[in-house]
Amino acid sequence: MSTKSIKICHIYPEALNLYGDRGNILCLKKRLEWRGIDCYVSEVKIGDNSDLSEYDFFFIGGGQDFEQEVLLSDLKSGKGRSIKSAVEDGKTFLCICGGYQMMGHYYETKDGNRMEFLGVANFATIGSEYRMIGDYFFKCTPESGGCEIVGFENHSGRTYLGEGVAPLGHLIYGYGNNGDDDTEGVRYKNLFGSYSHGPILPKNPEFADYLIQTTLDRKYGHVDLAPLDDSVENDAHDHMINLILKGAANKN
Amino acid sequence: MSEHSIFKTFLAIGACRLTRGLLRLFHRGGTTLPGRSALTFDKKILEVVSQGMHIIVVTGTNGKTTTCSMLRNAFQESGIDPLSNISGANLLSGITAEFASQATLSGKPKKSYAIVECDEGALKQVAPLIKPEVIVVTNLFRDQLDRYGEIMHTLNEIRTGISLVPEAVLCLNSDCSLTASLASDVSNPVYFFGIGKTTVAENNTDTAEEQDSSPSDAKYCIRCGTEYDYSYHTYAHLGGFSCPNCDYKRKRPELEVTSIESTSRRSDIIIRIADTQVRVHVGLPALYNIYNAIAALAAFESAGLDRQKMITSLASVKSSFGRMEGFIYNNVDIQMILVKNPAGCNQTLDYLSSLNEEYVAVLCLNDKTADGHDISWIWDVDHEKIIEDPFCKKIYVSGTRARDMKIRLKYGNAKEENIRMIRSNEKLLSAMTEDKLPVYILPNYTAMLKLRTILSSATGRNEFWKDQKYVNKKH
Ligand SMILES: [Zn+2]
Repeated sequence: MSTKSIKICHIYPEALNLYGDRGNILCLKKRLEWRGIDCYVSEVKIGDNSDLSEYDFFFIGGGQDFEQEVLLSDLKSGKGRSIKSAVEDGKTFLCICGGYQMMGHYYETKDGNRMEFLGVANFATIGSEYRMIGDYFFKCTPESGGCEIVGFENHSGRTYLGEGVAPLGHLIYGYGNNGDDDTEGVRYKNLFGSYSHGPILPKNPEFADYLIQTTLDRKYGHVDLAPLDDSVENDAHDHMINLILKGAANKN
Repeated sequence: MSEHSIFKTFLAIGACRLTRGLLRLFHRGGTTLPGRSALTFDKKILEVVSQGMHIIVVTGTNGKTTTCSMLRNAFQESGIDPLSNISGANLLSGITAEFASQATLSGKPKKSYAIVECDEGALKQVAPLIKPEVIVVTNLFRDQLDRYGEIMHTLNEIRTGISLVPEAVLCLNSDCSLTASLASDVSNPVYFFGIGKTTVAENNTDTAEEQDSSPSDAKYCIRCGTEYDYSYHTYAHLGGFSCPNCDYKRKRPELEVTSIESTSRRSDIIIRIADTQVRVHVGLPALYNIYNAIAALAAFESAGLDRQKMITSLASVKSSFGRMEGFIYNNVDIQMILVKNPAGCNQTLDYLSSLNEEYVAVLCLNDKTADGHDISWIWDVDHEKIIEDPFCKKIYVSGTRARDMKIRLKYGNAKEENIRMIRSNEKLLSAMTEDKLPVYILPNYTAMLKLRTILSSATGRNEFWKDQKYVNKKH
């Protein structure tokens, strides 16, 4: 049996590195290693215009508004186009918070200033007066694995989805995309966007495996994933969901 | 006092004392409730009860409490008994409580000097009321993100606070690009302190490459957005930064460490102040305590006090409340070191993995409001430093988010048999000492308060509010 492998591309690790999102890379790496699947992680930083077509999985994390402006000019230099074609090609993307917003058309601040983003998927984000902060909990649509995800959101942008894209899931507790329509995140082809820090993957192993499955299936046709002992992960996952359902979780 | 009703002052101070007395009666070291009850009677009470005092304010993300504690020792060395909010209640309410309780009922302060630890966000409320002569900003790291949102916001909060007291001398960390940027936005006189390209910095084991991939709180020029060049790093984003595009770069500080010799218990350093070299012994290990020592020294200088008193007292300084505090329980040495953000936590783990003696580590993680509800920062910490350390024999996890910490350790390749999760503090106390190895507890803020109460009663030590001079007497 030949060894399977996944090549992960971590985009802008030096800039979009807040809120522990690098834990997602660590999580993917370990879950692949534990199953004997090779995993290679490369970092693509600002100014690096290397070929993105060789990668199977892309991760973009969250960052500060200030640093996102630095990224805009880099995206325009060609990287944006490469990202777009990788998404159209069905590659898996996990994009969190700022990285998620960046995949949409634009971010409009309270004062009406508009920052043009990539427009990879049909959605946009509008700045608001208050931050949406706290532990939250949503259920993925059946098309995105159907699992329950618990995480921590911290954003002031409100994201509204347009035609042709689906939400990643529906809220059970928290604000999600915008605090109005009970949606959370986005799913477009194999692009998964979410506001969930925490980081999202270690505590939601079912979702982590769904992403891994999606990536392997695209690359190799159907692949059977060996089960792992997730008792430590699920204990934390279930405990937090119980706290939220009891109304004992943190919310600002 | 004319438009300010003496009756209101009287009521406010009375209310504060009453609340404090009641809380003590019920055996709780409440430090903010008394201030809140004073505030309900008189919003500006703090201005009244601090009038005419000489005040040093310490703010910034890391090292506030230790810096204050060092300053207090130096004052005492100089024969001055200053007011200070040692218990770490550093919001408007806690600071008001401290000042109100040290004033006469008519609102006159009983002491002439004060050292005030102030939360970054509270500075703009506190500073205009107490009109400090000196404001120290220790550094800026990511901290309690969900309370402030973003680090730039914190920086702006501090800037606003400073601009309200333009007379105050600003003592700033020259090695922190965020902190140092405050100098150009305000009209205050500025005094920089920092660590130069010392032997420690040159021998820093992190290569530029490793520094690059580790999360940084300030990677890009705060003025123009270009990535900084560094001639050296001391730790995290602190060091010799310069922007290749505009002229923003680290300034040569007035007070600069030029050489460091460190052991696991103390540091011997040489400091250049203006053009003189002085040798200073700091009775605490670790680089971040050297930063605390020079922040304190810079403030002491700026307040016009006798430098030699500060230098003498630094040699005998011992850890302050909870930041690095020793207990003996079950014949086992227990050290408690507060950790609340990635930079501070990584420094502490570096310290543990440099001990070269067997130990037990205890990681206590809470997510209460004072800790920050967002605990994802634990994934920005290199717990691998102790997981891979052969001298680290066991790791206990505890606190309201112990389960999250357990996952973090699992993904750091920790062996399952070396990890134990114990939620009850009482059980934790006996379990962690059963191997008869030195124990290092790394709690975040509210976890520390809880553990300290339990350790204090188990070891017969006073609770902190009963003994304000605890730090000096006990060690
Ligand atoms: Zn610049």
